[in-house]
Amino acid sequence: MGDFREVTPGGNPLKRVYVAIMLWFVGRAIQAAAVVDDDVKKEFENLPDGFTFSLGVMPNGPTMIVGKNRRGKVKYLGWNPKGRLIDLKMKIKNLEAAILMFTFQESTAVANARVRMIVDGEVPPACAIVRVLDIVEVYLLAKIIAKLAVKRYPVWSFGRKWIGRTRIYFRAVLGY
Amino acid sequence: MFLPAQYEFFCPVKTNSGNRALEHLPVELDALNARKPLIITSKDLSGRGLADVMADAFKDSGLTLGIFDGTSPAPDLKLIRELTKIYRHKGYDAIIALGGGSVMDAAKALNIVVSGRPEDLERAAGEDRMMKPLKPLIWVPAGEADGYESSKYATIGPLNFSSPYLMPHLVVLDPRMTIQENIEKTAASALIVLTHAVEAYTGPAKNPMTDAYAYAAIALIMTHLMDVMKIFQNEKGCLDLANAASMAGCAFSNSPKGLVHTLGSALALACGLSPGLCMGILLPYGLEYNTQKHGFHTLELLMPLAGPDVYAGTAGSLRSRKALDILYDLQDKLVQASGGMVPRKLADMKVPKEKLTEIAQTAGGENITGWEGGLSVLEQAWQGKPATPTS
Repeated sequence: MGDFREVTPGGNPLKRVYVAIMLWFVGRAIQAAAVVDDDVKKEFENLPDGFTFSLGVMPNGPTMIVGKNRRGKVKYLGWNPKGRLIDLKMKIKNLEAAILMFTFQESTAVANARVRMIVDGEVPPACAIVRVLDIVEVYLLAKIIAKLAVKRYPVWSFGRKWIGRTRIYFRAVLGY
Repeated sequence: MFLPAQYEFFCPVKTNSGNRALEHLPVELDALNARKPLIITSKDLSGRGLADVMADAFKDSGLTLGIFDGTSPAPDLKLIRELTKIYRHKGYDAIIALGGGSVMDAAKALNIVVSGRPEDLERAAGEDRMMKPLKPLIWVPAGEADGYESSKYATIGPLNFSSPYLMPHLVVLDPRMTIQENIEKTAASALIVLTHAVEAYTGPAKNPMTDAYAYAAIALIMTHLMDVMKIFQNEKGCLDLANAASMAGCAFSNSPKGLVHTLGSALALACGLSPGLCMGILLPYGLEYNTQKHGFHTLELLMPLAGPDVYAGTAGSLRSRKALDILYDLQDKLVQASGGMVPRKLADMKVPKEKLTEIAQTAGGENITGWEGGLSVLEQAWQGKPATPTS
């Protein structure tokens, strides 16, 4: 038995905290973008009231949950999926894959193509959420980084980009 | 595209290749209903830190792993008994083989035992004796891989096994693991892969499914082997060679063993030589013999060997010859790149000429060609003189 050992690998707290912060901020930014940006607003209008989705890392999180309430308002619902009925679960297969995505080494579309994500739910709302994430990333990130994170960097007017960016950052930080 | 009147193809192997592929293992194990894997590897690979890299890939998964790094280059029944004891007493439910041929042989044999009863191992020896699927088996290539690992074959001491159930459920190819360290072993492994792929691509069981695997394996070897021989720590090249090995193993599992494989194996066994180097020397000679005798598909072989430009620029009647010339040329390049460590002809390997008949007769029993044909191939390869002069 000298050649044998049993190990239980620990966690990676730094990477976990980084991804948790990114998810927290992106969740709040989606809530803000649903008010500020017309395209995001339209995407959520096409989803049914009460629709809830999560984006998280397997097997034990971190996770962000965003939902549309009965009055059609989009809200960031925190990180804990326990006790919630979630219509669409987007799961990143592991923490390293999440790091590749959230350090913008891989865009959401590329990560999806490389099967680093699992979608548990309907495909059309999943596509809508990926489009929302792309728009939010364009608002949150500088062009040089956002180009790595989204499929195609959009051509927006100066007003949409900079006034929208300011409003989304402001709302995301304050949480409304 | 050649579609035979009838063919059969079976490949249950899922492949996960590329950057951070190892980190997908916890999810893949979950999909296979496994919670506690036993990793089998060798002291050499463990000493290079690869077992630790593997363990790190399970961070945040909450899983407990067993790591056994005592696999010998020639695993025997005593080792399988020891592994069985560990697997059963600690309650493992999946096997991950980290390494090449010998590690995977041990993993396959262990899987036969732990999927049934210990006495099943000897009963399972032979052709297609296994009647039901085995427990989850994952292969993570590390160091040199020759493609037997992903195939339906395994060998433990005197016992030879052949069953599609021995093929791994999953192959995980990660560039952190596939870096190679020994120039001679790299060439030998790649030559086995090339032999199996070429024989599947040109052989009598050729069909569109084996073609897909064999074509990709040949093209990857031809594109990257010389790069890896020149710059050893070539991450991309090493990963591509490992991919080629995995694909060739699947093609090889769906084709009868070819002339070069059987002659090379018999020669290696009789003279205590590297099977890869033997097959590498014999490949163009065996292929030339098959082309002349049976009219096998060497014309089309030019495409994966040299690419579409050379294929299109070569007249149809000359493509077969050109394919053979490329293989002879590859031998010369390997001799040069390895500083003579890879031999050019059998005489360079100190194979006694008087032993060739016996070797041909041993191999002839396993091959449709008959031993006389095999002998002529061996004699040409011994002298290093092709049946028809190269252009």
